[in-house]
Amino acid sequence: MLSGSKEAIGRFVKWGTLLLLVCLALAYPWLFPNPYLRFVGVMTVMYMGLATSWNLMAGNTGYVSLGHSAFFGVGAYFTGIMIVRFDMPPFAMVAAAGVFVGLFAIVIGWLALRTRDASFVIVTLALVYIMLLLAQGWRGLTGGSSGLSLPRMEGIGREDAHVPFYFAFLILLAVVLFTTWWIGRSKFGMGLVAIRGDEDKAAALGVNTDLYKLIAFVLSAGFTGIGGGIYVYWFSYIEPFFVFSITIGVNMILMALLGGTRSLFGPALGALLLVPGTQYLIGEYGSTQLHVVLTGLLLGAIVMVLPMGIIPSLRSAAAHLWSASSGASSAATCTESDEVAEGVGR
Amino acid sequence: MTYFSTYSLSRSFGGVRAVNDATVEIEQGKISALIGPNGSGKTTFFNLVTGMITADAGKVLFKGSSIGGLKPHQVALRGVGRTFQITRLFREMTVLENMLVPVRRFGVRELLKDAVGGSEAARAMLWLDRVGLTKLQGEPAANLSYGQQKLLELASLMMSEPELVLLDEPAGGVNPVMIQRISGLVRELNSEGTTFFIVEHNMPLVMDLCDHVVVFDAGIPIAKGTPDVIRDDPKVIEAYLGG
Repeated sequence: MLSGSKEAIGRFVKWGTLLLLVCLALAYPWLFPNPYLRFVGVMTVMYMGLATSWNLMAGNTGYVSLGHSAFFGVGAYFTGIMIVRFDMPPFAMVAAAGVFVGLFAIVIGWLALRTRDASFVIVTLALVYIMLLLAQGWRGLTGGSSGLSLPRMEGIGREDAHVPFYFAFLILLAVVLFTTWWIGRSKFGMGLVAIRGDEDKAAALGVNTDLYKLIAFVLSAGFTGIGGGIYVYWFSYIEPFFVFSITIGVNMILMALLGGTRSLFGPALGALLLVPGTQYLIGEYGSTQLHVVLTGLLLGAIVMVLPMGIIPSLRSAAAHLWSASSGASSAATCTESDEVAEGVGR
Repeated sequence: MTYFSTYSLSRSFGGVRAVNDATVEIEQGKISALIGPNGSGKTTFFNLVTGMITADAGKVLFKGSSIGGLKPHQVALRGVGRTFQITRLFREMTVLENMLVPVRRFGVRELLKDAVGGSEAARAMLWLDRVGLTKLQGEPAANLSYGQQKLLELASLMMSEPELVLLDEPAGGVNPVMIQRISGLVRELNSEGTTFFIVEHNMPLVMDLCDHVVVFDAGIPIAKGTPDVIRDDPKVIEAYLGG
């Protein structure tokens, strides 16, 4: 009975917090109407979505992609080219970018997922440079190094220019979070996590590991591509170094690691902390590379102090406190039930 | 029609013929054993028939169709399941989550199914109850004792509803009480229709549990028959004692 009511309180707190956060997120552009703060808001929500997208693959399967900037860039270029060269409706092209990048990721994944561990990381890294060269070289389509300028969104005041993009990124974030949550509860998600643990064993249990990995990879890339599409329409300008930059992919990883790759909200939390922090440093110290140095130090600190990331660390600390207060460590529980289990045979 | 058979199955590693021209048959509904000295190719044989490694030559037939050359997950979906000599579990996942990994049928609906709260979880709980691990459902699998890990490995395999189960040393490194439990479970599952093929070094267990024994030496099947026949076969004694 007691534990039942405790569970109910827990659920109430959980859903209450979530509801509060959603309301805050929806009200943000009007709570902080300052254009600079709105800009930071868009950047933050963008990276929250990107880091969660990256984690859909890496957090579940353990396959770390350093090349998600490539998907971000392809999504951005697809959208930019469709708008500039073919005069297509912008937000429809943003959605189409997701499909296009998904198809692109099928090909890339089919090749890259033949490798594991460090080799996979290197292959995805190489992809970014290949795409960079392609975007620079294919002038007729991409505009080469001089880039592409997009028409700005019409019928909206300068003051409110960030608002539609804020909500576009917010929708992306919601969709990615929901997808990740759904997968986490499904048989498919169990298979993905099993791949992280022991890929060959998973296969022996009927898990089609190649297909599972490819689906997760394509979803992760597709969402990242949509992010790129929104980004290019928001910035109205794109050039190769802007999007095919390792930094964007590294940021996603850093944020996910900070918040915790083994949790649903971890990557988003990481972005929520890091993006405003970085923007503040850029604002205060401008052209210095201080924010890059601090980002590097932070990465080191995470690996040393919080290898699991914030949310899983808090969770396990809470679990320790809980078991300490109820007078039984999990190890003790295990030995005890071990005897119970083995005693049955006697 | 033979239920499960291999025909001239061979595999070499460098110059070593780990499995050499192995023709083996087992019958449906029986518990068969695969025995032989260390390094006689038993585990390699299991790896070959489950697609974990590819054969240099030979055939694997299950219920009349060839399963040689299939990928491991395809073999599993055909109904041939296996456990591993050194128990392999998803150590970070909980006991219950371990039960939810195996796939029975491949399909979009199956994969999107709610694993945590749905019918799959209910089915998993029945199996956990049966092997006495219900209380440990929320523990990471790494926290289980070795014997419990063996039980969990077998229980999770049963979630995929295999018809033929290959067990690689189910009694290895396990205390006598747990051996009794595991063998009792195997006998129960067998009476419910599951066919077993077991690699095992514990001879009393093999003699007690199995209907049929195949003996490997240096990758070659040298004898087969009932436990009584095998016990007295001079070739088998030679293989174990002669070196």
